[in-house]
Amino acid sequence: MPLIRSVFQDELDSVSQTLFELSVMVSDSMAKATSALVGKNLPLAEEVITFDEKIDTVQHDLDARIIDIIARQQPVASDLRALVTALRMSADLERMGDLAHHVAKVVRLRHPASAVPEQLLQLIESMGEAAEKIAAKTGVVISTRDTSLAAQVEKDDDEMDELHRKLISKLVEPSWPHGVETAIDLTLLGRYYERYADHAVSVSRRVIFLVTGKFA
Amino acid sequence: MIQTPESEKAMSSTQPSSLASVANARQERTHASTATGTGLEARGVHAWFGKNYVLKDINLEFAAGSVTALIGPSGCGKSTFIRTMNRMHEFIPGAAMAGQVLLDGKDVYAPGVDVTKIRLQIGMVFQKPNPFPSMTIGENVLSGLKLAQIKVENKDELLESCLVRAGLWNEVKDRLDAHGGSLSGGQQQRLCIARALAVSPQVLLMDEPCSALDPGSTLRIEETIRELSDSMTIIIVTHNMQQAARVSDYTAFFLSDGGPGEMIEVSRTSEIFSQPKDQRTENYVTGRFG
Repeated sequence: MPLIRSVFQDELDSVSQTLFELSVMVSDSMAKATSALVGKNLPLAEEVITFDEKIDTVQHDLDARIIDIIARQQPVASDLRALVTALRMSADLERMGDLAHHVAKVVRLRHPASAVPEQLLQLIESMGEAAEKIAAKTGVVISTRDTSLAAQVEKDDDEMDELHRKLISKLVEPSWPHGVETAIDLTLLGRYYERYADHAVSVSRRVIFLVTGKFA
Repeated sequence: MIQTPESEKAMSSTQPSSLASVANARQERTHASTATGTGLEARGVHAWFGKNYVLKDINLEFAAGSVTALIGPSGCGKSTFIRTMNRMHEFIPGAAMAGQVLLDGKDVYAPGVDVTKIRLQIGMVFQKPNPFPSMTIGENVLSGLKLAQIKVENKDELLESCLVRAGLWNEVKDRLDAHGGSLSGGQQQRLCIARALAVSPQVLLMDEPCSALDPGSTLRIEETIRELSDSMTIIIVTHNMQQAARVSDYTAFFLSDGGPGEMIEVSRTSEIFSQPKDQRTENYVTGRFG
Protein backbone atom coordinates (compact mmCIF):
# COMPACT_ATOMS: atom_id res chain seq x y z
CA MET A 1 0.00 0.00 0.00
CA PRO A 2 1.43 3.42 -0.85
CA LEU A 3 2.52 5.52 2.08
CA ILE A 4 0.83 8.90 2.45
CA ARG A 5 1.15 12.04 4.57
CA SER A 6 4.22 13.22 2.71
CA VAL A 7 3.89 16.82 3.97
CA PHE A 8 3.86 15.58 7.55
CA GLN A 9 6.84 13.34 6.82
CA ASP A 10 8.73 16.31 5.40
CA GLU A 11 7.97 18.28 8.56
CA LEU A 12 9.27 15.45 10.74
CA ASP A 13 12.41 15.18 8.61
CA SER A 14 13.00 18.90 8.90
CA VAL A 15 12.78 18.65 12.70
CA SER A 16 15.52 16.00 12.67
CA GLN A 17 17.54 18.14 10.30
CA THR A 18 17.33 21.16 12.61
CA LEU A 19 18.32 19.05 15.61
CA PHE A 20 21.34 17.88 13.67
CA GLU A 21 22.19 21.47 12.76
CA LEU A 22 21.89 22.47 16.43
CA SER A 23 24.30 19.69 17.37
CA VAL A 24 26.79 20.99 14.82
CA MET A 25 26.37 24.53 16.14
CA VAL A 26 26.98 23.57 19.78
CA SER A 27 29.89 21.33 18.81
CA ASP A 28 31.44 24.20 16.91
CA SER A 29 30.79 26.59 19.79
CA MET A 30 32.54 24.38 22.31
CA ALA A 31 35.51 23.81 19.97
CA LYS A 32 35.92 27.58 19.59
CA ALA A 33 35.44 28.21 23.32
CA THR A 34 38.18 25.70 24.15
CA SER A 35 40.45 27.21 21.55
CA ALA A 36 39.80 30.69 22.98
CA LEU A 37 40.48 29.40 26.49
CA VAL A 38 43.75 27.73 25.62
CA GLY A 39 44.94 30.53 23.35
CA LYS A 40 43.67 33.48 25.49
CA ASN A 41 41.83 34.58 22.35
CA LEU A 42 39.31 37.29 23.32
CA PRO A 43 37.77 37.91 19.84
CA LEU A 44 37.10 34.19 19.49
CA ALA A 45 35.50 34.11 22.96
CA GLU A 46 33.30 37.08 21.99
CA GLU A 47 32.28 35.22 18.87
CA VAL A 48 31.15 32.24 20.95
CA ILE A 49 29.23 34.53 23.31
CA THR A 50 27.40 36.23 20.44
CA PHE A 51 26.78 32.96 18.64
CA ASP A 52 24.88 31.60 21.65
CA GLU A 53 22.03 33.97 20.83
CA LYS A 54 21.80 32.39 17.41
CA ILE A 55 21.62 28.92 18.99
CA ASP A 56 18.83 30.12 21.28
CA THR A 57 16.89 31.52 18.34
CA VAL A 58 17.19 28.30 16.38
CA GLN A 59 15.99 26.36 19.43
CA HIS A 60 13.00 28.64 19.99
CA ASP A 61 12.01 28.41 16.33
CA LEU A 62 12.33 24.65 16.42
CA ASP A 63 10.16 24.35 19.55
CA ALA A 64 7.51 26.59 18.02
CA ARG A 65 7.54 24.47 14.89
CA ILE A 66 7.19 21.24 16.88
CA ILE A 67 4.23 22.62 18.85
CA ASP A 68 2.64 23.68 15.58
CA ILE A 69 3.11 20.21 14.08
CA ILE A 70 1.63 18.54 17.18
CA ALA A 71 -1.36 20.89 17.09
CA ARG A 72 -2.05 20.44 13.40
CA GLN A 73 -1.07 16.83 12.74
CA GLN A 74 -2.03 15.07 16.00
CA PRO A 75 0.88 12.66 15.82
CA VAL A 76 0.76 9.28 17.56
CA ALA A 77 3.11 6.33 18.13
CA SER A 78 6.66 6.82 16.80
CA ASP A 79 5.75 10.22 15.32
CA LEU A 80 4.64 11.46 18.73
CA ARG A 81 7.76 10.05 20.35
CA ALA A 82 9.89 11.74 17.70
CA LEU A 83 8.34 15.13 18.39
CA VAL A 84 8.25 14.91 22.18
CA THR A 85 11.86 13.73 22.27
CA ALA A 86 12.79 16.46 19.79
CA LEU A 87 11.43 19.05 22.22
CA ARG A 88 13.59 17.64 24.97
CA MET A 89 16.64 17.16 22.77
CA SER A 90 16.42 20.76 21.66
CA ALA A 91 16.53 21.80 25.33
CA ASP A 92 19.60 19.62 25.92
CA LEU A 93 21.36 21.00 22.87
CA GLU A 94 20.51 24.57 23.79
CA ARG A 95 21.98 23.90 27.24
CA MET A 96 25.16 22.56 25.62
CA GLY A 97 25.38 25.87 23.76
CA ASP A 98 25.03 27.71 27.07
CA LEU A 99 27.89 25.75 28.57
CA ALA A 100 30.18 26.67 25.67
CA HIS A 101 29.07 30.26 26.23
CA HIS A 102 30.01 29.95 29.93
CA VAL A 103 33.49 28.74 29.01
CA ALA A 104 33.89 31.73 26.68
CA LYS A 105 32.81 34.09 29.46
CA VAL A 106 35.55 32.80 31.75
CA VAL A 107 38.03 33.63 28.95
CA ARG A 108 36.64 37.16 28.73
CA LEU A 109 36.60 37.61 32.51
CA ARG A 110 40.30 36.71 32.91
CA HIS A 111 41.57 38.39 29.76
CA PRO A 112 44.41 39.25 29.12
CA ALA A 113 45.51 36.72 31.72
CA SER A 114 44.86 33.04 31.17
CA ALA A 115 42.21 31.31 33.21
CA VAL A 116 44.16 28.08 32.94
CA PRO A 117 47.68 27.65 34.35
CA GLU A 118 50.31 26.34 31.96
CA GLN A 119 50.50 22.84 33.53
CA LEU A 120 46.80 22.27 33.15
CA LEU A 121 46.43 23.46 29.57
CA GLN A 122 46.85 19.99 28.17
CA LEU A 123 44.22 18.52 30.47
CA ILE A 124 41.73 21.24 29.54
CA GLU A 125 42.51 20.71 25.88
CA SER A 126 41.78 17.01 26.32
CA MET A 127 38.44 17.87 27.91
CA GLY A 128 37.69 20.16 24.99
CA GLU A 129 38.56 17.41 22.50
CA ALA A 130 36.40 14.92 24.39
CA ALA A 131 33.52 17.40 24.33
CA GLU A 132 33.89 17.98 20.61
CA LYS A 133 34.06 14.27 19.88
CA ILE A 134 31.00 13.50 21.96
CA ALA A 135 28.98 16.31 20.36
CA ALA A 136 29.94 15.21 16.86
CA LYS A 137 28.93 11.65 17.62
CA THR A 138 25.65 12.89 19.08
CA GLY A 139 24.98 14.68 15.81
CA VAL A 140 25.46 11.42 13.93
CA VAL A 141 23.17 9.65 16.42
CA ILE A 142 20.49 12.29 15.78
CA SER A 143 20.63 11.95 12.02
CA THR A 144 21.07 8.16 11.77
CA ARG A 145 19.08 7.10 14.88
CA ASP A 146 21.76 4.46 15.35
CA THR A 147 21.13 3.05 18.82
CA SER A 148 24.46 1.23 19.11
CA LEU A 149 26.26 4.48 18.37
CA ALA A 150 24.02 6.14 20.99
CA ALA A 151 25.24 3.57 23.50
CA GLN A 152 28.84 4.47 22.58
CA VAL A 153 28.23 8.09 23.56
CA GLU A 154 27.79 6.86 27.12
CA LYS A 155 31.25 5.28 26.95
CA ASP A 156 32.73 8.50 25.63
CA ASP A 157 31.20 10.26 28.59
CA ASP A 158 33.11 7.93 30.92
CA GLU A 159 36.28 9.32 29.33
CA MET A 160 35.12 12.86 30.10
CA ASP A 161 34.30 11.89 33.69
CA GLU A 162 37.79 10.46 34.07
CA LEU A 163 39.36 13.73 32.83
CA HIS A 164 37.11 15.66 35.19
CA ARG A 165 38.23 13.55 38.15
CA LYS A 166 41.85 14.12 37.17
CA LEU A 167 41.26 17.88 37.12
CA ILE A 168 39.58 17.88 40.52
CA SER A 169 42.42 15.83 42.00
CA LYS A 170 44.90 18.50 40.83
CA LEU A 171 42.80 21.23 42.46
CA VAL A 172 42.70 19.55 45.84
CA GLU A 173 46.44 18.85 46.01
CA PRO A 174 47.84 20.52 49.17
CA SER A 175 50.60 21.99 47.05
CA TRP A 176 48.16 23.81 44.69
CA PRO A 177 50.15 26.92 43.76
CA HIS A 178 47.68 29.04 41.76
CA GLY A 179 45.42 30.55 44.39
CA VAL A 180 41.73 30.38 45.12
CA GLU A 181 40.47 32.36 42.12
CA THR A 182 42.08 30.06 39.59
CA ALA A 183 40.86 27.05 41.57
CA ILE A 184 37.29 28.37 41.35
CA ASP A 185 37.63 29.07 37.62
CA LEU A 186 38.91 25.58 36.98
CA THR A 187 36.24 23.99 39.15
CA LEU A 188 33.61 25.75 37.10
CA LEU A 189 35.31 25.05 33.77
CA GLY A 190 35.64 21.38 34.64
CA ARG A 191 31.99 21.33 35.56
CA TYR A 192 30.99 23.00 32.28
CA TYR A 193 32.78 20.38 30.18
CA GLU A 194 31.48 17.54 32.27
CA ARG A 195 27.87 18.79 32.08
CA TYR A 196 28.23 19.39 28.35
CA ALA A 197 29.03 15.72 27.85
CA ASP A 198 26.16 14.71 30.15
CA HIS A 199 23.67 16.59 28.00
CA ALA A 200 25.05 14.84 24.93
CA VAL A 201 24.47 11.52 26.70
CA SER A 202 20.95 12.64 27.47
CA VAL A 203 20.31 13.42 23.78
CA SER A 204 21.61 9.98 22.81
CA ARG A 205 19.39 8.29 25.38
CA ARG A 206 16.39 10.11 23.98
CA VAL A 207 17.22 8.76 20.54
CA ILE A 208 17.22 5.26 22.02
CA PHE A 209 13.77 5.96 23.49
CA LEU A 210 12.58 7.38 20.21
CA VAL A 211 13.60 4.25 18.33
CA THR A 212 12.71 1.55 20.84
CA GLY A 213 9.97 3.21 22.89
CA LYS A 214 11.91 2.13 25.97
CA PHE A 215 13.84 4.34 28.33
CA ALA A 216 17.53 3.58 28.15
CA MET B 1 -39.36 22.00 18.56
CA ILE B 2 -37.30 24.00 16.13
CA GLN B 3 -33.62 24.45 16.88
CA THR B 4 -33.25 28.06 18.08
CA PRO B 5 -30.12 30.14 18.40
CA GLU B 6 -30.72 29.97 22.17
CA SER B 7 -30.73 26.21 22.27
CA GLU B 8 -27.61 26.11 20.08
CA LYS B 9 -25.98 28.48 22.53
CA ALA B 10 -27.03 26.38 25.48
CA MET B 11 -25.44 23.38 23.83
CA SER B 12 -22.20 25.06 22.96
CA SER B 13 -21.91 26.50 26.43
CA THR B 14 -21.81 22.98 27.83
CA GLN B 15 -18.84 22.17 25.68
CA PRO B 16 -15.99 23.18 27.99
CA SER B 17 -17.32 20.97 30.77
CA SER B 18 -17.72 18.14 28.25
CA LEU B 19 -14.11 18.57 27.23
CA ALA B 20 -12.99 18.52 30.84
CA SER B 21 -15.01 15.47 31.70
CA VAL B 22 -13.80 13.61 28.64
CA ALA B 23 -10.27 14.39 29.77
CA ASN B 24 -11.10 13.18 33.27
CA ALA B 25 -12.70 10.05 31.93
CA ARG B 26 -9.32 9.07 30.51
CA GLN B 27 -8.05 8.64 34.04
CA GLU B 28 -8.00 5.14 35.44
CA ARG B 29 -11.40 4.42 36.86
CA THR B 30 -11.38 4.45 40.62
CA HIS B 31 -14.66 2.66 41.18
CA ALA B 32 -15.57 -0.87 40.19
CA SER B 33 -17.68 -1.42 37.11
CA THR B 34 -21.24 -2.54 37.77
CA ALA B 35 -21.43 -4.31 34.43
CA THR B 36 -22.86 -7.78 34.80
CA GLY B 37 -21.78 -11.02 33.21
CA THR B 38 -18.42 -12.01 31.84
CA GLY B 39 -18.61 -9.98 28.66
CA LEU B 40 -18.57 -10.96 25.04
CA GLU B 41 -16.21 -13.18 23.12
CA ALA B 42 -15.72 -13.87 19.42
CA ARG B 43 -14.12 -17.22 18.63
CA GLY B 44 -12.91 -17.95 15.14
CA VAL B 45 -15.45 -15.70 13.46
CA HIS B 46 -15.47 -15.78 9.65
CA ALA B 47 -17.97 -13.99 7.42
CA TRP B 48 -19.06 -14.06 3.81
CA PHE B 49 -21.33 -12.07 1.53
CA GLY B 50 -22.26 -14.70 -1.02
CA LYS B 51 -18.94 -15.93 -2.40
CA ASN B 52 -17.13 -12.89 -1.11
CA TYR B 53 -15.01 -13.88 1.90
CA VAL B 54 -14.90 -10.71 4.04
CA LEU B 55 -13.74 -11.65 7.52
CA LYS B 56 -11.17 -14.22 8.51
CA ASP B 57 -10.80 -15.94 11.85
CA ILE B 58 -11.44 -13.13 14.32
CA ASN B 59 -10.76 -13.95 17.94
CA LEU B 60 -11.50 -11.17 20.38
CA GLU B 61 -12.58 -10.91 23.98
CA PHE B 62 -14.53 -7.97 25.33
CA ALA B 63 -14.40 -7.88 29.11
CA ALA B 64 -17.55 -6.78 30.93
CA GLY B 65 -17.51 -3.03 31.45
CA SER B 66 -14.76 -2.35 28.92
CA VAL B 67 -14.81 -0.08 25.89
CA THR B 68 -13.15 -1.51 22.80
CA ALA B 69 -12.57 0.50 19.65
CA LEU B 70 -12.34 -1.24 16.30
CA ILE B 71 -10.24 0.69 13.82
CA GLY B 72 -9.08 0.04 10.29
CA PRO B 73 -9.54 1.29 6.75
CA SER B 74 -12.90 1.07 5.00
CA GLY B 75 -13.77 -2.39 3.79
CA CYS B 76 -11.69 -4.25 6.37
CA GLY B 77 -14.74 -5.87 7.96
CA LYS B 78 -15.18 -3.91 11.19
CA SER B 79 -18.87 -3.24 10.69
CA THR B 80 -19.48 -6.77 9.43
CA PHE B 81 -17.73 -8.04 12.52
CA ILE B 82 -19.89 -6.11 14.99
CA ARG B 83 -22.98 -7.10 13.02
CA THR B 84 -22.11 -10.74 13.58
CA MET B 85 -22.08 -10.02 17.32
CA ASN B 86 -25.84 -9.47 17.59
CA ARG B 87 -26.81 -11.54 14.55
CA MET B 88 -27.60 -8.58 12.33
CA HIS B 89 -25.24 -9.92 9.67
CA GLU B 90 -27.64 -12.72 8.73
CA PHE B 91 -30.26 -10.13 7.72
CA ILE B 92 -28.39 -9.49 4.50
CA PRO B 93 -29.32 -11.91 1.69
CA GLY B 94 -26.47 -14.29 0.95
CA ALA B 95 -24.62 -13.41 4.13
CA ALA B 96 -23.04 -16.25 6.05
CA MET B 97 -20.78 -16.63 9.04
CA ALA B 98 -18.83 -19.29 10.87
CA GLY B 99 -17.48 -19.37 14.41
CA GLN B 100 -18.86 -18.63 17.83
CA VAL B 101 -20.01 -15.49 19.58
CA LEU B 102 -20.27 -16.04 23.30
CA LEU B 103 -22.29 -13.79 25.55
CA ASP B 104 -21.59 -14.74 29.16
CA GLY B 105 -20.12 -17.95 27.80
CA LYS B 106 -23.22 -18.91 25.80
CA ASP B 107 -23.12 -19.05 22.00
CA VAL B 108 -25.60 -16.58 20.51
CA TYR B 109 -25.67 -18.77 17.38
CA ALA B 110 -26.60 -21.96 19.24
CA PRO B 111 -29.68 -23.72 17.91
CA GLY B 112 -32.86 -22.60 19.57
CA VAL B 113 -31.55 -19.20 20.61
CA ASP B 114 -34.17 -16.45 20.23
CA VAL B 115 -32.62 -13.81 17.97
CA THR B 116 -34.84 -11.05 19.37
CA LYS B 117 -33.59 -11.79 22.87
CA ILE B 118 -30.00 -11.59 21.71
CA ARG B 119 -30.63 -8.15 20.24
CA LEU B 120 -32.19 -7.05 23.52
CA GLN B 121 -29.02 -8.07 25.29
CA ILE B 122 -26.69 -6.72 22.60
CA GLY B 123 -27.96 -3.31 21.52
CA MET B 124 -26.77 -1.31 18.59
CA VAL B 125 -26.37 2.34 17.64
CA PHE B 126 -25.86 3.13 13.98
CA GLN B 127 -23.83 5.63 12.03
CA LYS B 128 -26.81 7.74 11.07
CA PRO B 129 -29.21 8.68 13.87
CA ASN B 130 -32.43 6.83 13.12
CA PRO B 131 -35.13 7.86 15.60
CA PHE B 132 -38.71 7.11 14.62
CA PRO B 133 -39.47 10.58 13.25
CA SER B 134 -43.18 10.62 13.95
CA MET B 135 -42.89 9.22 17.46
CA THR B 136 -42.37 11.59 20.35
CA ILE B 137 -39.08 11.66 22.22
CA GLY B 138 -40.65 9.66 25.02
CA GLU B 139 -42.17 7.09 22.68
CA ASN B 140 -38.87 6.70 20.88
CA VAL B 141 -37.04 5.82 24.08
CA LEU B 142 -39.67 3.29 25.14
CA SER B 143 -40.26 1.82 21.70
CA GLY B 144 -37.97 -1.17 22.29
CA LEU B 145 -39.98 -2.19 25.33
CA LYS B 146 -43.18 -2.02 23.38
CA LEU B 147 -41.80 -4.10 20.52
CA ALA B 148 -40.39 -6.73 22.85
CA GLN B 149 -43.53 -6.55 25.01
CA ILE B 150 -41.57 -5.91 28.16
CA LYS B 151 -43.56 -4.60 31.10
CA VAL B 152 -42.00 -2.01 33.39
CA GLU B 153 -43.47 -0.67 36.60
CA ASN B 154 -42.55 2.94 36.26
CA LYS B 155 -42.16 4.09 32.68
CA ASP B 156 -41.48 7.72 33.59
CA GLU B 157 -38.63 6.72 35.83
CA LEU B 158 -37.12 4.49 33.14
CA LEU B 159 -37.55 7.20 30.53
CA GLU B 160 -35.74 9.70 32.69
CA SER B 161 -32.93 7.36 33.63
CA CYS B 162 -32.29 6.37 29.99
CA LEU B 163 -32.23 9.98 28.86
CA VAL B 164 -29.98 10.95 31.75
CA ARG B 165 -27.56 8.13 30.95
CA ALA B 166 -27.57 9.07 27.29
CA GLY B 167 -26.74 12.63 28.31
CA LEU B 168 -29.89 14.09 26.78
CA TRP B 169 -32.23 14.60 29.72
CA ASN B 170 -31.46 18.23 30.47
CA GLU B 171 -31.98 19.23 26.88
CA VAL B 172 -35.33 17.48 26.38
CA LYS B 173 -36.96 17.11 29.80
CA ASP B 174 -39.44 19.89 29.07
CA ARG B 175 -40.44 18.62 25.65
CA LEU B 176 -40.74 14.87 25.86
CA ASP B 177 -43.82 15.10 23.67
CA ALA B 178 -41.91 16.74 20.81
CA HIS B 179 -41.16 14.55 17.82
CA GLY B 180 -37.85 12.72 17.61
CA GLY B 181 -37.23 14.30 14.23
CA SER B 182 -37.27 17.79 15.74
CA LEU B 183 -33.98 17.26 17.53
CA SER B 184 -30.55 18.19 16.19
CA GLY B 185 -28.37 15.43 14.75
CA GLY B 186 -26.33 15.09 17.93
CA GLN B 187 -29.46 15.02 20.07
CA GLN B 188 -31.06 12.44 17.79
CA GLN B 189 -28.03 10.22 18.13
CA ARG B 190 -28.21 10.47 21.91
CA LEU B 191 -31.93 9.72 21.65
CA CYS B 192 -31.01 6.53 19.78
CA ILE B 193 -28.55 5.68 22.54
CA ALA B 194 -31.31 6.26 25.13
CA ARG B 195 -33.59 3.98 23.10
CA ALA B 196 -30.92 1.29 23.05
CA LEU B 197 -30.49 1.62 26.83
CA ALA B 198 -34.18 1.25 27.65
CA VAL B 199 -34.10 -2.51 27.21
CA SER B 200 -31.03 -2.75 29.50
CA PRO B 201 -28.57 -4.39 27.14
CA GLN B 202 -25.40 -5.92 28.51
CA VAL B 203 -23.48 -4.95 25.42
CA LEU B 204 -23.77 -1.88 23.23
CA LEU B 205 -22.42 -1.98 19.68
CA MET B 206 -21.77 1.40 18.10
CA ASP B 207 -21.03 1.66 14.40
CA GLU B 208 -19.42 5.05 13.85
CA PRO B 209 -21.90 6.78 16.15
CA CYS B 210 -20.32 10.22 15.75
CA SER B 211 -19.34 10.34 12.11
CA ALA B 212 -22.22 12.64 11.18
CA LEU B 213 -21.95 14.89 14.22
CA ASP B 214 -20.30 18.20 15.09
CA PRO B 215 -17.37 18.26 17.59
CA GLY B 216 -19.55 19.35 20.54
CA SER B 217 -22.07 16.53 20.09
CA THR B 218 -19.22 14.13 19.46
CA LEU B 219 -17.57 14.99 22.77
CA ARG B 220 -20.92 14.75 24.52
CA ILE B 221 -21.44 11.24 23.13
CA GLU B 222 -17.89 10.23 24.02
CA GLU B 223 -18.64 11.33 27.56
CA THR B 224 -21.81 9.25 27.46
CA ILE B 225 -19.78 6.23 26.31
CA ARG B 226 -17.44 6.60 29.28
CA GLU B 227 -20.38 6.85 31.68
CA LEU B 228 -22.18 3.87 30.14
CA SER B 229 -19.08 1.72 30.33
CA ASP B 230 -19.58 1.64 34.09
CA SER B 231 -22.56 -0.58 33.54
CA MET B 232 -22.10 -2.23 30.14
CA THR B 233 -19.64 -3.54 27.61
CA ILE B 234 -19.16 -1.26 24.62
CA ILE B 235 -17.70 -1.96 21.19
CA ILE B 236 -17.30 1.05 18.95
CA VAL B 237 -16.30 1.18 15.32
CA THR B 238 -14.70 4.49 14.50
CA HIS B 239 -12.68 6.09 11.74
CA ASN B 240 -11.74 8.89 14.06
CA MET B 241 -8.42 7.86 15.53
CA GLN B 242 -8.49 10.53 18.21
CA GLN B 243 -11.90 9.31 19.25
CA ALA B 244 -10.64 5.75 19.60
CA ALA B 245 -7.73 7.08 21.65
CA ARG B 246 -10.04 9.14 23.87
CA VAL B 247 -12.85 6.74 24.67
CA SER B 248 -11.60 3.19 24.56
CA ASP B 249 -9.76 0.92 26.97
CA TYR B 250 -8.73 -1.47 24.20
CA THR B 251 -8.25 -1.02 20.50
CA ALA B 252 -8.31 -3.69 17.81
CA PHE B 253 -6.89 -2.98 14.38
CA PHE B 254 -8.49 -4.67 11.36
CA LEU B 255 -6.98 -4.78 7.90
CA SER B 256 -7.67 -6.38 4.56
CA ASP B 257 -4.89 -6.72 2.00
CA GLY B 258 -7.35 -7.43 -0.78
CA GLY B 259 -8.55 -10.66 0.78
CA PRO B 260 -10.81 -11.04 3.82
CA GLY B 261 -10.37 -8.61 6.70
CA GLU B 262 -8.20 -9.82 9.55
CA MET B 263 -7.54 -8.60 13.04
CA ILE B 264 -3.92 -7.52 13.02
CA GLU B 265 -3.41 -6.38 16.57
CA VAL B 266 -5.38 -5.82 19.75
CA SER B 267 -3.96 -4.17 22.81
CA ARG B 268 -4.56 -1.54 25.44
CA THR B 269 -5.45 1.66 23.62
CA SER B 270 -2.47 3.48 25.12
CA GLU B 271 -0.20 0.79 23.63
CA ILE B 272 -1.76 0.97 20.18
CA PHE B 273 -1.30 4.73 20.05
CA SER B 274 2.13 4.89 21.62
CA GLN B 275 3.94 1.67 20.74
CA PRO B 276 2.01 -0.59 18.41
CA LYS B 277 3.74 -3.91 17.86
CA ASP B 278 2.85 -4.46 14.22
CA GLN B 279 4.32 -2.16 11.58
CA ARG B 280 0.97 -2.15 9.74
CA THR B 281 -0.76 -0.84 12.86
CA GLU B 282 1.90 1.83 13.21
CA ASN B 283 1.44 2.85 9.58
CA TYR B 284 -2.31 3.08 10.02
CA VAL B 285 -2.46 5.00 13.31
CA THR B 286 0.21 7.43 12.17
CA GLY B 287 -1.81 7.97 8.99
CA ARG B 288 0.82 6.54 6.64
CA PHE B 289 -1.89 4.64 4.76
CA GLY B 290 -5.61 4.08 4.91
